[in-house]
Order: sequence, then C-alpha cells, then structure tokens
Amino acid sequence: MLAFEMERPRSLASAAEILEKHGSQAMVKAGGTDVLVWMRKHAVHPEVLVDLSEIPELKGISFYPHRGIKIGALATVNETAENEDVKRCYPALRDACLSHSDVLIRNKATVLGNICASVPSGDLIPAFAVHEAVLHVFGPGGERDIFFSDFITGPRKNSLMPGEIVVSATLPFPGERSAGCYLKLARRNALDLAQVGVACLAVDGEAGRTYRIACGAVAPRPVRATGAEKILEGVTAPGDDLLDRAGKAAAEASNPITDVRASREYRLSMVDELTKRAVALCAERLQGGRAS
Amino acid sequence: MKRDVHFILNGKPVTFSVEPRTTLLRALREYGVTSVKRGCEEGECGTCTVVIDDLAQKSCMVLALEAEGKSVLTVEGLVGPKGELHPIQQAFVDEGAIQCGFCTPGMIMSAYAFLRKTPDPTEEEIRVALAGNLCRCTGYIPIFRAVHKAAAVMRELGHIPGRAR
Repeated sequence: MLAFEMERPRSLASAAEILEKHGSQAMVKAGGTDVLVWMRKHAVHPEVLVDLSEIPELKGISFYPHRGIKIGALATVNETAENEDVKRCYPALRDACLSHSDVLIRNKATVLGNICASVPSGDLIPAFAVHEAVLHVFGPGGERDIFFSDFITGPRKNSLMPGEIVVSATLPFPGERSAGCYLKLARRNALDLAQVGVACLAVDGEAGRTYRIACGAVAPRPVRATGAEKILEGVTAPGDDLLDRAGKAAAEASNPITDVRASREYRLSMVDELTKRAVALCAERLQGGRAS
Repeated sequence: MKRDVHFILNGKPVTFSVEPRTTLLRALREYGVTSVKRGCEEGECGTCTVVIDDLAQKSCMVLALEAEGKSVLTVEGLVGPKGELHPIQQAFVDEGAIQCGFCTPGMIMSAYAFLRKTPDPTEEEIRVALAGNLCRCTGYIPIFRAVHKAAAVMRELGHIPGRAR
C-alpha cells in the first residue's frame, strides 16, 4: 500500500472542511473493507484518507413508525441485519445483509459503503432499489437528498459531487402487509460476489397488490424490472404462466456482461429464474397471512 | 509519518508507533504478536482474525490507527496465567482440528467471538460463523466438531464467555 496521511475527524463539519481543503487528493472511508483492498491493489491512491468512523452523527439505525428506517453511514452490515425493525419490516434488506461477504467482514463493512462503492454486484443495491431509498447527503453546497434511482450512474460511479458525504439513507416504510426477499446466486455461499441478485418487495396497499423487483450484477446500473412489475400488478397468487412472463420481462430489462464469474447467457437465464422464485416466495408469504 | 496508537492488547495497555498505512495485522506482527497470521491481506482468508471490542474482525482490513482506544484480543490473550489452554484451544487439540496450523488462530478467535454470543450453537450456526475462515487441510469437519465440544465444555464449566482469561 502506498503511503498516505490519515485524518479522523470528530464531526461532520470538520470532515467536510478536510475534504474541501484536500479536494480530489482526499478519499473518505467508513468501514474500509473496499477502500483498503483498492488501495492495496493500487486502484486508488488518495494522499489523505478521511476516516469517518469517529463521527457520531453518522452512527446508528432508527425506525420511525409509518415513515421508515434511517440507516446511518457507519451502520455495519451485521448491525443492520440484526436490527429488530429490519427483521420485522425489511426482509429483503436483511437477506441482502446476510448474503454479503462473511460474518467477520460484516462486522466492519457498512451498508452505505456498499451503496457508495456502486459496484454492479453490490449486494445491498437491489434491496435499496425495491425499497426506493433516499440518500441524505452533506457537502459544500449544504444538505441534499438523492433518490436511490438517481444515485448509481455506472460501475463504481455515482452522483456524489466532490466533497459530499452520504450521512444516512431512509428506506420508506413498506406498509403493514408486505413481504420481501433477496435471492443471490454465487459460486459459493460466503465471500463471493453475486453472479445475479434479485430483490422483490410485494405490498398489499389500498390499491391492491403491487410488486417491486430489482436485479443486481446484470447491468452497469441497478435494474428495476418495471415490465415484470406491471405484469404482476394486482395478482395475489401468480400462476406459472404469469411468473414465466415476469421472469422473461426481468431478463429483457437486464444487460449483463460475460466475466470470470458467469457468462451473459447464464446470467440472463438466472435473472429469469430468480425473479420467478423471488416473486413466488413473496406471494406465498403474503398468502400465509403474515407480513414479511 | 509515524503516529502513536494506544489500545488494550490482551488486557494490557500498549502504544504502537505506526504509519497510517500500517494495518493492524502488520502492526501486531511487528510487535511480536505472531499468532496473527498474514494470509491474503485482502479480507478473504480470515487467518488474521482478532477480536476487537467483542467483534471478530479481519485485522488486515483494519488500519492500526483505527484501534485507538479499543480492546484487541488475540489467541495469546486466551491462554491462562500458567499457560493453560482455553477450552476452545483444548478442543482444537483434542479433536485434531489442526493440521498445518496456519488458519488455527483465526479459527479460534472467530469461534471465541461466536460462542460468546451463541453458547449453544447448531451445526449450521457454526458453519456460518466460520465461513470467513479458510482451511486448506482439515476439510473443516474436525473444526466444527471442536467448536461443538468447546461450546459444551464452556457451558459445563459455567465459563463466563467473554472474560479474557
């Protein structure tokens, strides 16, 4: 690893000052499980590493009934997976957390770090997409909110401006009667990147049943399978025929690459299959009369 | 430029002088704590696992300066004052859970943090807890057996998990 200086600010304001002072030579880290690997592989070489882990404003997870859950930038993946409100209302998020790396890395890696790394295979990304998360950002221009659908612009690229820090994210309350899941396909269960990941959220609202489906690792940006969502809208117990059509629609929305982990064809076929399974699982859970 | 970092190592306060880029793994080894093994150094293999403030973590993914004010436990800290092995260490010996031994300190630290939280684990829970620690010799089965046995022994002893002895 090349030499760098490290700053450990104790407040958001002082972190912002440091970032402003050093400009593009500075880089932020929360858990650091991506940044340290990138630095070791010389993929990035910041002169100043700004460690956010001592900033109290960025800690914690809070649930506001009927509004949603707010995840701080320093909330680790394990902390999120074990949160009671996440277990109760955000099963897709919990599944995603538990599929991420292994139990040791999850003690260090943060949920928002996974989002900010903006790698297509990021496990938390499809869950954030189906929950239509909003990111709260602090920077030189003050505070602003970014809708998750506008956040990731390409592989390892996002819409954060220089000097901006993601402070927290809110995942709106999905509703009392909802079910969700994240299904991940990888070569092994632990410590592997997703070949394909599909998150599904089914909600019984006043206007009937709606589905939200998002696919990860199958395009440069996160994919919301809106075509599949429309096909399933209002259907509480989708049959094989409808599931087939939804699976095909999700595959059509995807545009995967071939790499060492899987070929394009295999990924397309697996998007189809995992979408069917995820939708069927959510429908079954709501059928049983119990939420999530 | 080197800076001082102060933390508790196996129950004793220590001060290390480190560069910002020095990982906790490298700092510990440099200061003679060689049970912490250097494997992949990119968070995959788990052989550098230590327990920081009750959480098992891969020390190659922690910068030494981040340990400031924290409590770090390695297998050296599990051994009793007269050199007696911790029940987890003893179970690894008894069950033949060690071959080359390179993964063993990491396995034991992962198991230690896990058994503190889960004193009566299922087979599945043990497998998930150790998923981040790779072993190329044993095929894992004797390791799972050792963790089962250690859990039983620790329950029987009324051992208060979490007390670094």
